[in-house]
Amino acid sequence: MIDSPVLKVRDLYVTYQSSFGPVPAVRGVDLDIALGETLGLAGESGCGKSTLAMALLRLVPPATQISGSILLDGQSVLTMKPGQLRLVRWAQASIVFQGAQHVLNPVQRIGSQIDEAIQLHHGSTSSTVREMLALVGLSDGCADDYPHELSGGQKQRVMIAMALSCNPLLIIADEPTTALDVMVQAQILQLLDNIKRERGLSMLFITHDLSVLSHNTDRVAVMYAGRIVEVGPAEELLRGSIHPYSRALAESFPIIGDPKSRHQPKGLAGDPPDPNSLPSGCPFHPRCNVAIDSCKSIDIKLSAVTKSIDRQVACVHANDESRSVK
Amino acid sequence: MSIEAVQVSPRQMTWLRRRRALLRVWRELRHDRSGFTGLLLLVFFGVVAAAAPLIADRSELLAAAGRNNPDLAAPSAKFLLGTDDIGRSVLSQLVWGSRVSLFIGLLATVVAVVIGSTVGLISGYVKGRVGSLLLAIDDFFLVVPFLPLAIVLAVILGRSPVTLALVIGFTSWAGSARLVRAQVLSLSERGYVERARALGANSRHVILRHVLPGVAPLIIANATLIVPGAILTESTLSFLGFGDRLSPSWGKLLDGAQSSGSITLNAWWYYLPPGICIITVVLAFTLFGRALERIFDPRLAGR
Amino acid sequence: MNFLYVTKKLLSAFLTLIAVVIFNFFLFRVVDRDPLAKYRGRSKLSIAQREIMIERLGLNGSKWQQFITYIKSTARLDFGRSFDSTRPVLREISDRLPATLLLVGISTILTILIGVYIGARAGWQRGSRFDRVSTSATMVLYATPEFFFGMLLLAFIAGRTGWFPTGGLRDVGADTSGFASILDRAHHLVLPSLTLTLGYLGSYSLIMRTSMLETLGEDYLTTARAKGLRDRDVMMRHAVPNALLPSVSFIAISFGFVIGGAITTETVFSYPGLGLATADAIRNTDLPMLQALFLVASSAVIIFNLLADLTYGLLDPRIGRAK
Ligand SMILES: Nc1ncnc2c1ncn2[C@@H]1O[C@H](COP(=O)(O)OP(=O)(O)OP(=O)(O)O)[C@@H](O)[C@H]1O
Ligand code: SF4
Ligand SMILES: [Mg+2]
Repeated sequence: MIDSPVLKVRDLYVTYQSSFGPVPAVRGVDLDIALGETLGLAGESGCGKSTLAMALLRLVPPATQISGSILLDGQSVLTMKPGQLRLVRWAQASIVFQGAQHVLNPVQRIGSQIDEAIQLHHGSTSSTVREMLALVGLSDGCADDYPHELSGGQKQRVMIAMALSCNPLLIIADEPTTALDVMVQAQILQLLDNIKRERGLSMLFITHDLSVLSHNTDRVAVMYAGRIVEVGPAEELLRGSIHPYSRALAESFPIIGDPKSRHQPKGLAGDPPDPNSLPSGCPFHPRCNVAIDSCKSIDIKLSAVTKSIDRQVACVHANDESRSVK
Repeated sequence: MSIEAVQVSPRQMTWLRRRRALLRVWRELRHDRSGFTGLLLLVFFGVVAAAAPLIADRSELLAAAGRNNPDLAAPSAKFLLGTDDIGRSVLSQLVWGSRVSLFIGLLATVVAVVIGSTVGLISGYVKGRVGSLLLAIDDFFLVVPFLPLAIVLAVILGRSPVTLALVIGFTSWAGSARLVRAQVLSLSERGYVERARALGANSRHVILRHVLPGVAPLIIANATLIVPGAILTESTLSFLGFGDRLSPSWGKLLDGAQSSGSITLNAWWYYLPPGICIITVVLAFTLFGRALERIFDPRLAGR
Repeated sequence: MNFLYVTKKLLSAFLTLIAVVIFNFFLFRVVDRDPLAKYRGRSKLSIAQREIMIERLGLNGSKWQQFITYIKSTARLDFGRSFDSTRPVLREISDRLPATLLLVGISTILTILIGVYIGARAGWQRGSRFDRVSTSATMVLYATPEFFFGMLLLAFIAGRTGWFPTGGLRDVGADTSGFASILDRAHHLVLPSLTLTLGYLGSYSLIMRTSMLETLGEDYLTTARAKGLRDRDVMMRHAVPNALLPSVSFIAISFGFVIGGAITTETVFSYPGLGLATADAIRNTDLPMLQALFLVASSAVIIFNLLADLTYGLLDPRIGRAK
């Protein structure tokens, strides 16, 4: 049991149905998150991060096609019956949603929104609303408030309290700080970090800002056009990424605590591809500055690099001497 | 194409653009099943109303026409939909009634749309005292129950079809004023109006040349949805005693059917047909109007 | 909901009421050039009678003096005498008010409950069979004049089966007190309230369906689902309470239609309430009655709107909640 990961995703495909036809938002993703481990998932807007997160609990619209396998604590999420799925949701894995503004019901008191989850899964938890609020640093009084009476940071704390209320094994944090101002961002990140350590939780931490990952993640996966293009230990990957996309991503943000990196931000030209019309071959080739002819036709699979068994990259240049790890 | 383009005048260009827009609406309508059904039904009733003199002679509506016929006779070869309580053919009255109902419904709509669009355009465009006064008037007319108001006006002003149409129009513009106003506000938010104003145009010009074309599709769709309401109001007023028994609308026929006791006498041919006609025409206008709304405002698609 | 909000709404209702009273004067004394002609039309008046009528209708003096007289008598609820029955209008109205309140009250409650249920479910299960069937049905309901419903019910239910009376308030010669009389009144109410309910069910459920569709994409619904709530509970606890908010004001506005519906419904069933009184007043050109009935109808809508605003304040915590 120790060795088996809390989350094990294999060959996950998620395809939305839209009026313009199918939208392949996630295309063959493999992921593992061990007990107590935090995996950072980074990528530009629209690359499929939220889709992946939602698919983990089958929260995508009903018409959406999902294939592959998702094992959450050994149970197969994609094949379980609706009743079973409802038991797994929140009790095994909970989500801190992107943009706290609208994720709380505006006409229900905070306390009762947290309590709703607790009551629903009372088999797995004996926590109370008050304890949960205290845990995230909010006063008891907040329980009687409505969402519009709280600040953005407070709302995100409520969301975290709610996510913790049923003692899940895994927390999925989808850009938990995007909508907040910088001071509050730091506080929320700190809070998540502390709680995760205290409780030994596993976490999937989603962001488009690589710099927030260096501190609080064990491993990092970089996503592009619905796929993971590079994955590896956080420190290693952030200091020396191999895939040209991860590099560009890393360089476009200063690394916290490394003053030198501030002076070389290098934006990435062009826009991420539209999942409706992906480029042929390696989907990154139109924006890649080291692309070779074969990149237009051959799509390289994610595979281990020779240098380090912990790292996998999807690029022709993955094992080039000059570009590998320092 | 480019050579042709050089040769067309700006006026022709506008015409071409309008024609293209109309064609687009037509194409989308063809694919909107309920909207197209509504349109076909409307065409049917329009043809019946236009051809009324060919179907039945107007003299059949006179009280004298029924003198030699049996009263409340069941449908027969001579009277396909039987006769009313004074022996007149129900079918003839129904055919001529389509004229009265449609005429009043359409005229009332024109009145309502003109008042509603004017109030909406001005109150959305003009800020300050005039704007808020118009808004207050609009609020007032939204609250005042329109049927009692229409009744009072009709009693005071007279009972002729044209007066009825004016009264109905005057009592049903508040909703569309509200709608047009909201659209004007959203157009000005998008900088539509600012640009024209910056070029030095005066208010009249801006409203007529820039704002009105922007809200026109909405006004058309909305008008199509006012007609059914106006027809229903007309039938209600007629049922309550307004209107002319010798040139009856469908609602007036229902009034006749009700007061002649056709229900207790089981004379279904008297009360069912006008009711069914009202329902069908109202439904047709509603389906057609909703389809137009969907075409003009894609946000509503799939509703 | 705080004191300020309530005060504001009360004040605006009061102002609207005043506006209606003034508008009423305008209608009957300015738009109508010669109110007396309508009375004279039915019986010849001697000069002396004419003087009395002018005095009684408050038509003497300048328009301004007439206005003062009108305001004073309206404030005393003195609406003069009915042209038709010659009884005081206030008596006529207060005698008939309870019957109409009962009819309109029952129908409104039923319409709201059923309409909200159908609309909410149709919107939630958009595109489903329930949605398709109920939306088509509500369109037909909407297109049918309510008095035609009444006529159909009379013909096919009251007429054919005899299960229900064809009209009136109570059976002739029935007890006027006790349980039997309540049953009798209820028996007479079934078809009229069914008529009125069917007549306006369509608009109410369409309103609710639209606001339900607008909440479908909201993030808090995803949160609720993620928590493991059943679909039913997501709908009942999260979607419906939010979707009700915009519906409240629309429903309040449509209440004016229900008042109109009461007029024809009471006519079809000879149900002796204010609606039937209105129909009679139309046929008799009974101006004093019409004037008062118009005031009553408008006040009813204003009061209903006020109730809706207050309900809204209760349902939506964002409305000026004192912190
Ligand atoms: N319900 C949907 N139907 C159709 N397409 C969708 C739907 N939801 C998302 N998409 C598309 O799927 C792609 C991935 O979206 P997703 O929200 O997963 O991106 P993301 O990486 O989370 O971006 P962000 O950083 O902006 O949150 C996008 O191109 C988006 O337009
Ligand atoms: S495979 Fe080619 S195009 Fe893709 S990232 Fe590597 S070098 Fe660039
Ligand atoms: Mg996202």
